[in-house]
Amino acid sequence: MRPVHLPSSLAELWDLMAAHPGAALLAGGSDLLVRLRQGLGDPPALIGLERIVELGRVQAQEPGWLFLGAMATHSLLLEHPLVREHLPILRQALAVLGSPLIRNQGTLGGNLCTASPAGDTLAPLYALEAQVEVRSASASRRLGMGDFILGPGRTALKPGEVLYGVWVPQQPAWSIAHFEKVGRRQALAIAVVSLAALIARDESGLVTRARLAWGSVGPTVLRVPAAEEALLGRPLDDASLQAAAQLARQALSPIDDGRASAAYRRQVAGNLLLRLARRGS
Amino acid sequence: MTTREPPLEIGRPPRLDAAAKASGAEKFACDHYPPGVLWAGVKRAGLPHARLRGLDLAAARALPGVVAVLTATDVPGVNRQGVVLKDQPVLVADKARYVGDALALVLASDQETLARALRLIRADLEPLPGVFDPEEALKPGAPLVHEERPQGNLLLEGRVVTGQGAAALEDCPVVVEASYDLPRQEHAYLETENGWAQRGEDGRVTIVVSTQTPFRDRAEVAEVLGLEPGQVRIVAPYAGGAFGGKDGITVQSLLGLAALHAGGRPVKMWLEREESLLASSKRHPARLHYRLGADQEGRLQALAMRAVYDTGPYDHLGGAVLTLGLEHAAGPYRIAHVDLHGLAVYTNNPLSGAFRGFGVPQVAAAMEQAMDLLAGRLGLDPLELRRRNALRRGDINPVGVTLTGSTGLAACLEEVAAHRLWRGGQAWRKEAPPGRRRGLGLAAVMHGLGYGPIIPDVANAKIELTAEGVFRVYCGVVDMGQGNAGTCLQLAGMVLGQDLAGLELVLPDTDRTLPSGSASASRTTYVFANALLPAATALKERLLARGADAMFAASPAEMVLLPGRLKHLPSGRELDLKRLASLLDPAERTASHRYRAPVVPERPSPDPALQLHGLPHGVFSYAVHLARVEVDELTGLVRVCDYLVAADCGQVLNPQIWEQQMQGGVAQGLGYALLEDFPAPEGLPQCRDLSTYLIPTSLDLPEIKCLAVPTWEQSGPLGLKGCGEIGIDGPLPAVGNALAQALGRHLVEAPFTPERVLAALNQTEPSAS
Repeated sequence: MRPVHLPSSLAELWDLMAAHPGAALLAGGSDLLVRLRQGLGDPPALIGLERIVELGRVQAQEPGWLFLGAMATHSLLLEHPLVREHLPILRQALAVLGSPLIRNQGTLGGNLCTASPAGDTLAPLYALEAQVEVRSASASRRLGMGDFILGPGRTALKPGEVLYGVWVPQQPAWSIAHFEKVGRRQALAIAVVSLAALIARDESGLVTRARLAWGSVGPTVLRVPAAEEALLGRPLDDASLQAAAQLARQALSPIDDGRASAAYRRQVAGNLLLRLARRGS
Repeated sequence: MTTREPPLEIGRPPRLDAAAKASGAEKFACDHYPPGVLWAGVKRAGLPHARLRGLDLAAARALPGVVAVLTATDVPGVNRQGVVLKDQPVLVADKARYVGDALALVLASDQETLARALRLIRADLEPLPGVFDPEEALKPGAPLVHEERPQGNLLLEGRVVTGQGAAALEDCPVVVEASYDLPRQEHAYLETENGWAQRGEDGRVTIVVSTQTPFRDRAEVAEVLGLEPGQVRIVAPYAGGAFGGKDGITVQSLLGLAALHAGGRPVKMWLEREESLLASSKRHPARLHYRLGADQEGRLQALAMRAVYDTGPYDHLGGAVLTLGLEHAAGPYRIAHVDLHGLAVYTNNPLSGAFRGFGVPQVAAAMEQAMDLLAGRLGLDPLELRRRNALRRGDINPVGVTLTGSTGLAACLEEVAAHRLWRGGQAWRKEAPPGRRRGLGLAAVMHGLGYGPIIPDVANAKIELTAEGVFRVYCGVVDMGQGNAGTCLQLAGMVLGQDLAGLELVLPDTDRTLPSGSASASRTTYVFANALLPAATALKERLLARGADAMFAASPAEMVLLPGRLKHLPSGRELDLKRLASLLDPAERTASHRYRAPVVPERPSPDPALQLHGLPHGVFSYAVHLARVEVDELTGLVRVCDYLVAADCGQVLNPQIWEQQMQGGVAQGLGYALLEDFPAPEGLPQCRDLSTYLIPTSLDLPEIKCLAVPTWEQSGPLGLKGCGEIGIDGPLPAVGNALAQALGRHLVEAPFTPERVLAALNQTEPSAS
């Protein structure tokens, strides 16, 4: 039997982490428990974070920033007025994450620390240029998404550190905030490819800013600057999007797996951009 | 007297098992944890083909908490199981023929110890060259799955030729030709294989198990254990899904063997989902080649088809599956000349076996897509093509059987033709949003009922008026979720004038209920109710007569059974059933009836093997399926927007249960069409759990509209036929035909994944939008 500890404050958490080196942090368990069942890893103990109230906060805390606590569940975020008002692209991703049961159980921090390129919340957070806050008993630091997530299943967390939460900067006015996930089915699906797109246009319809982040087509979520730049100063029409899509297909590095082939992923990753012409018109 | 509900009625909901299941009160086999229970489990081969040179069991046996570690040499009886051919060992003695073969059985005090002991077993396995492609398996020099078989890797070959056979194709002005590949499908029942067993002081072994076949299990387990059948008792609670996957032995023999070594303690065995996926039987993957010919008016003239079914390592009803496939290969049409050729072939792939549809979904997929190819070539509406060829009562079906029973296919076609989903179909297609394509597809299917001419298709029903004045209905055939047990209560309540409080249900138990065959083959309610109705009627007549005597009535015709009582109509006097029971000898309070389904007197094939495996059938259900699909051009994702099935299953006893059977079959069929595949290159399964083996969720399914088109089947109980499988035969070809219309080309490889759909789109002209 593996002990499960449930600290109710960060202070207790630091003590428990010090006392149980190698313990796994349980932030919902929708990934961790599956891995343990598969025999991947055998931590001596689990430390559940669900009772640490400050990890579950969602608030506009510092001027210009929204704070999303690591233990905020997907359901909570999906229904939260601040997320609804400011982060529609994150909502779109949360709405297709897992199933109602998974959304009630899983957390934003868990999704990030699993660091799967298919994690549904990741591509929107890359596009939003969010930062994560990492804390330990003695320190706190903030990192960009790309600095936090290092590869499949790998993050910049060091021993003794936990993911405290996500900081999302106040967003400029986007004309289009679009997330699309292609899975093998409509619920409980792991993304085969996903796209988060934030586009701003001027009065004449020309693109002034573009952020494009793809999931499931590389070891991490990928922004493709070349594709973003290709849209600047152009209307969102099939021609400009086809050009950007071609650049994206060249830049992405998908793999074959049981869900889809690399060739399918590559083609569809570009194709998803073409949806923007219809969204934007 | 307490207030009673009115007597149960036929033709009305609800299903009587629902409340107990929804509330969690119903106990499935897996819900039993007897005090002091031991846990049993097996070490599996993990290799698709390997010589077993030895087993190192010392470490496992030395582990504290391990009660016994057993191998093939511990099997006291015949170490072979199977329904037709007994070719599957309970525990491997010499070689493993697929990854799921059981090598050793462990009994332990708890699950953790069991898992640890299984990991400590070292199997010395010498990998052997395997055979993984059924066509390769038939070639000389292919590795043999069963060396002792003179037929090599061929399990069964069947051929049915009528008229001029394939030669008639030469006279057909229009011939279409296509090959189809159908995937392996997992049953994915909620309740994985499990049960518990105990040996009594009298030496008898009782096994409570999730099964479709309690009486056949009793015989098989007894043979394995070297016991008389009467020394084995099988108890079959409601099963949490089965779909054919529990048509035969899963854990029964292992549990029986474990019980012999448990020192009288109960033993429980319950496969984890991963183990169930690895070891359980699947729907046969199949490769089919069709050549279908018609005249210029679209009258079908000739069909030549060849089907190869990959049966995996053992005869898990594979021969019977192939035979039913052959019988249905030409669809529900008049075709005078056919050459139907099928082969079921052993391989070292995962085990194939019985699965709802039983060989028919594969051939229906091929035939119905070939029909649409033909309609395209003829420039005929696909519905009109089917209308011109639809079997009617009195016709001779493609395998040469005269249809004497009810035949409602034409009526099903007219229901669909008149339905708004069909009539408005072309307008709906044109309204496709930009970037989407829409298509409609039809499939017409039939499904034979029962075991065929040789295996006795028998049920024995028993009803008892208990000393408490309640009617106890002994249901000898399993309810695996279809709702037939509740239907039995409804039937008994209708005949005997009882409400639910006046009835008690006894689920299958070889000590209490009477042999009634398997819950399978769309036969369950047809055969059992044909036994139950006469039994209930006989008991009613006896009670009316004895009641009339007791109440000095002029005749039993003056008496009526009402909930809990007997009423003398002229006087209004009533006699409590408990009181009536006390006046009767116990032997008088029970009635039973044996029913054997009629067999077709014609013998379209002289091949005794095909007859043994079920050819031909005489009673068929019919259905027409309609799917409307939308394809996203950017991703190849397919959404089934609307689904309609119009089905002739004879009379409907409970419309709610009927609709659920249709919807369940269609849902499982849509999974087969769009999602489900269980690839196993070199015999090694790639899907280890339900995160990689995907079945449809509620969001993946449309509203499934079900229209009953009831005929009256004279041989059926109250006019009923079977409805368990007709729902799963049509979705794949209906979706395939709809996709062909949307894409402008046919897909020949299922399931129709987004990747395959997008590849087809890449090969077609971009749409006008």
